[in-house]
Amino acid sequence: MFAYIVRRSAYGAVVVMGVLAILFALFFLYASPQEIALRAVGEKAPQEVIDQWIENHGYNRPLDELLVDHYRRMLTFDFGRSDADDTPIIDRLREGAGPSLSLTLPLFVLGLVLGIGLSLFVAYFRGTYIDTAGVVLAVLGMSVSVLLYIIGGQFLIGKLLRWFPISGFDPSPDLILRFLALPILIATAEGLGGSLRFYRTVFIEETSRDYVRTARAKGCGDGRIMARHVLRNAMIPILTRVVVAIPFLFTGSLLLESFFGIPGLGSLMVDAIQGNDFATLRVMVFIGSLLFIFAQIATDVSYTLVDPRVRLE
Amino acid sequence: MKGLGVAAVAAICAALTACTNNPYPDADETEKVRYRALPAPLKTLDPAVSYTSLEHKITANVYETLLEYHYLKRPYTLMPALAEAVPEPRTLSDGRVAYTFRLRPGMRFQDDPAFALGEAGRTTREILASDIAFELSRIADPDVASPVFATFAKIDGFRAFSEQLKQRRESDPDFAAQRIDRQYAAIGGISGVRTPSAHELEIILSERYPQILYWFAMPFTTPVPWEAIAYYDGQEGRDFFKDHPISVGPFQIAEYRRRSLIVLTRNPNWYGALHPQWRAPGTVYPSEGEAEDVERGRLDADLVGKPLPFLDRIEFRLEKETIPAFNKFIQGYYDASGIIQESFDKVVLEGGLSPDMAKRGMLLEKSVDPTISYIGFNMRDPVVGAVAGERGRKLRQAMSSVIDVEEYTRIFNNGRGVAAQSPLPPGIYGYDPEYRNPFRVTDVERAKSLLAEAGYPGGVDPATGKPLHLSFDLGDTSARGRVRYLYFVNAWNQLGIDVEIVATNYNKFREKMREGAYQVFMWGWIADYPDPENFLFLLWGPMAREGGGVNSANFDDPRYNALFLEMKDMPNGPARAERIRAMRSILERERPWIELTHSENFALYHGWMKNVKPAGLSLPAAKYEDIDQVLRAELRSEWNRPVVWPAYALAAIALAIAVPGVVTFFRERQ
Repeated sequence: MFAYIVRRSAYGAVVVMGVLAILFALFFLYASPQEIALRAVGEKAPQEVIDQWIENHGYNRPLDELLVDHYRRMLTFDFGRSDADDTPIIDRLREGAGPSLSLTLPLFVLGLVLGIGLSLFVAYFRGTYIDTAGVVLAVLGMSVSVLLYIIGGQFLIGKLLRWFPISGFDPSPDLILRFLALPILIATAEGLGGSLRFYRTVFIEETSRDYVRTARAKGCGDGRIMARHVLRNAMIPILTRVVVAIPFLFTGSLLLESFFGIPGLGSLMVDAIQGNDFATLRVMVFIGSLLFIFAQIATDVSYTLVDPRVRLE
Repeated sequence: MKGLGVAAVAAICAALTACTNNPYPDADETEKVRYRALPAPLKTLDPAVSYTSLEHKITANVYETLLEYHYLKRPYTLMPALAEAVPEPRTLSDGRVAYTFRLRPGMRFQDDPAFALGEAGRTTREILASDIAFELSRIADPDVASPVFATFAKIDGFRAFSEQLKQRRESDPDFAAQRIDRQYAAIGGISGVRTPSAHELEIILSERYPQILYWFAMPFTTPVPWEAIAYYDGQEGRDFFKDHPISVGPFQIAEYRRRSLIVLTRNPNWYGALHPQWRAPGTVYPSEGEAEDVERGRLDADLVGKPLPFLDRIEFRLEKETIPAFNKFIQGYYDASGIIQESFDKVVLEGGLSPDMAKRGMLLEKSVDPTISYIGFNMRDPVVGAVAGERGRKLRQAMSSVIDVEEYTRIFNNGRGVAAQSPLPPGIYGYDPEYRNPFRVTDVERAKSLLAEAGYPGGVDPATGKPLHLSFDLGDTSARGRVRYLYFVNAWNQLGIDVEIVATNYNKFREKMREGAYQVFMWGWIADYPDPENFLFLLWGPMAREGGGVNSANFDDPRYNALFLEMKDMPNGPARAERIRAMRSILERERPWIELTHSENFALYHGWMKNVKPAGLSLPAAKYEDIDQVLRAELRSEWNRPVVWPAYALAAIALAIAVPGVVTFFRERQ
C-alpha cells in the first residue's frame, strides 16, 4: 500500500505542477497587472500611482522571474500578500478556516446521518407508498435550485416564521448556534434529495443480495440486517461519495457563506473574484487542487479499511 | 427507550419555543448602539490610501481632521475641527500660496501600546502639527502608493520629496531599513510643509488651489503618529497599520474582524471629551441649519449645544447580499437602509412611504448625490468631434435631443435620479434649478432637422449612402447593462443612425479611452468635494484623457478653458456665478456630453433614529445621530415573535403519512 500511495502522490505532484502552470498562464499572462492595480488603488488613482502599485507588488518583473517566484512561493506555501488589501494570504486562510468548518462540519455530519438513515428507512419499505413518497420528494428536492433554497429559506424561516436570524455570524458560544441553524437547516434540506436517491439505490441493490435472504432465513432481525449487514456492505460506494468531500470542508461553501455573511473561505473566494484579488485566487485554486489529489488518495486507502478484499498495489 | 423519545420531543419543543431571530446579544437592547450593514469587507483603514465611501464610514468617525463640514448647513460649509480656525490663503512674494493651520493645544491620541515606542510606559501623547506633516509625507511616499498623490503634488517640494525618497531607498539599503520617520527626516521633509511651532502647520502651494482646504476635511490629512506606522508593521503578531487605526476622532475601534464585524466605541481621549469647556464647533450639536431642519426637529432646543457624540457604540456587520440585509432592517435589526430594487414598490408609493412602512414609523429621506453620469463624445473624432466643425456639433445636438432621461430613470432606477441639465448637481455652487438645457428636452422632430442640417438627412451618411455608423464604447459587458445601453441606441435609431454597442471589460475600456480609440462612450463622476471646480474640470482642455487626465471627451475649447482658470480660484459670489453660466452655455452649444442624471439616494430610517440628515457627500455624521433604544427594543420584540405552529404541523403531517404505512407494512409481513 505504501508503494501505491507513493506512486499516486507522484502522479499528484505532476498534476499540481500542471495546475501551477495553468494558474501562471491565467493570472500572469492573460490578466494584466494594470487590471489588478486599478481595483486595488481605486478608480480615481492617476496612472503614476497605478504604475507605482505595480512596481511595489513586483508585477513589472520579467516573466521568467515571475514564473520561478510563482512556483517557489506555492510549493513552499509562502503565499505572499493579497492583491486587494496587502494582508498575508496565510492569515486570511487561518481566519476563514474556522467559520467554514463551523458550518461545513455539522452540515456534513447531519447530511450524512440523515441521508443514510432516511435511505435505510425508505429502502426498508421498498415498494410501499413510503418509498414512492420518499423518491418523489427526493426528485422534487433535487430539481430546485440551491439559490431558491437559500432565498426561500431565509424568507420563510428567517423572515416569516422568525425562528433564526436571517443572516450573520458570531463565533461567541452563546450566539454561534443561532446563526448556523438556518444555513445548516437549508443546506441539509437541499442536499437530502440527492443523498436519498443515491444511498437508496445502493441499499436496495444490497438488500436484494443473497446474504440478506440468508440472514433473514436464519432469523436475523430486520433492524440488524439493515444496520449491520447492508450498511457495512454498502460502504464502498458510500465512501466514494463521502471521503472525497471531507477535504473540501475546509474550503467552505461559496453560496451559503456569501448569503449568510459567514466569513469563511468560500466567502473569501467570492471576495477575491469580485475584487480582482488574483494573488488570493491563485492560492485558493492551488489549495483546491492539492485537496482534490489528497481526497482521491484518501478514498482509495479508505476502501482497504472497509473491505479486506481490496488490495492497493 | 420511550423515555428517550419523549425527552427528544420535549427538547425539540423547548428549542422551538426558545428560538429567536435576534442576531445580537440580548444585553444590547438597553444600550445606545447603532447597527449598520457593510456590503463588502474593507480593504484598508490607512487614511493615506483609503478612498472609498464604504471605508469612509469608519475612517470618518475615527480620524478627525483639521477642518470638517457643518452637519446641517447647505451648501456644504467648512468649519474648524482640530484647527482653531479655517485658514485664509496668503500669497507669497514669489506667487506661491500659503495656509497656516493652528492646532488646538492639549488634544491627545487614543490610548495605544504603540506610543511606548517613543517613551517607555507611555500610552498616548499630544497631537502635534508634525503628525499631520508626517501624514502628508506618507502620501508622498512611493511605497504607500496613495491615490491622492497628484492632488497633494500641488504642495511645494512634494514631488521632489517623493523622488528623493525613492532614489535613496534604491541606492542605500541601510537608509531603507531605518525607521520611517527617520527616513523622512533624513530627506529633509517636504519643503512646502512646515511646522513653525508644535501647534502650527504651514502648507505652501506652488500654485493657487483654494480647494485644498476641502482635502483638509478628509481623512487623508488626519494626524498620524509615527509610532503607529513603526509599531503596526504586521511582525511578531502585531497588526498592520491599515487594520489598526489610532483614533483622534469621537470613536475608536474596539473590535475589528475585517470580514464579519467592526465595533466602534467612544474615544475617551477625543478632544470633545477631554475639553468639553471649549465647546468647539465639531464637539457640540449645531445651532444653525436650514428651514427644513427646523421643521424636521433637527434644531430642537433640547438638542442644540448638547455635547457629542450621543451614541455609545456603532456596530458594522458584513452583509454582502442586499436581500437579507434589507429583511433584517425591516425586522428592526438595522437602524437604516437603502431600498433594494426588489422591494421598491412595496416601500415607496408615489414618491413617499407606502402606508405599510409609514405604519411602522419609518422615515424616508431623499438626497441627491454630488455625481453626474453622462454620455460623452470624443471631441477628437473626425465624425462626432470638434474636428467635424458645425457638422459634428449639429450631430451631437441631435443625438442629445432624443435621450429621454426621465423615462430612462423611471424604467431602470425606479425613478431615482435627477435629470441633469449641466455637469453641476444640486447642492453645488452654480447649480440653477430653473435652468433648462434646450438640447436636453426630448424633441425627436427637432433632432431630425438638426441631423439634416448636419448633413445626415434621415440619419444617412451621404458618403456611403447608408445609415451613419457610430460606435458606443462601454466598460460593462453584463446583460443587465446591455439592456440599459440599448435604451440609448434605440433612441438614436429613431433618427436613422446606426449605433453599435462595443462593450468590453472595464480595464480594456479604460485602455481604449487612454488611446483615444472611441467615438461615443458613457461614464460618470463622483465629487471629492462640494465645489463646481470638481465638476467643471472634467471638461477642461489640459485635463484631456489622452494626456492622462479625466477629461474623457477631450473637450478643448479656448474660451471654456480661460473661464475655468478664472472661475476655479474665485470665492463663491456673483463673479463666479457669471463665469459658471458662461461655461454652461458653451457646453450647451458644443455638447461634448449628453448629461444624464445626478444620482438620488432614498434612505429609510426607523422611527427610533434621531437627528439624521442625509448628505450626498460622505460626512462623519455618526457623532450627531441618536437612538431611542427603549422604543427600538419594544418594537423589535413586537415585530419578531417567532411563529412555531408550522413546525408542529409539519411534524404531524410527516407522522400522519409515515405511521399508517409502517403499521400496514408490518401487519402485512406478519
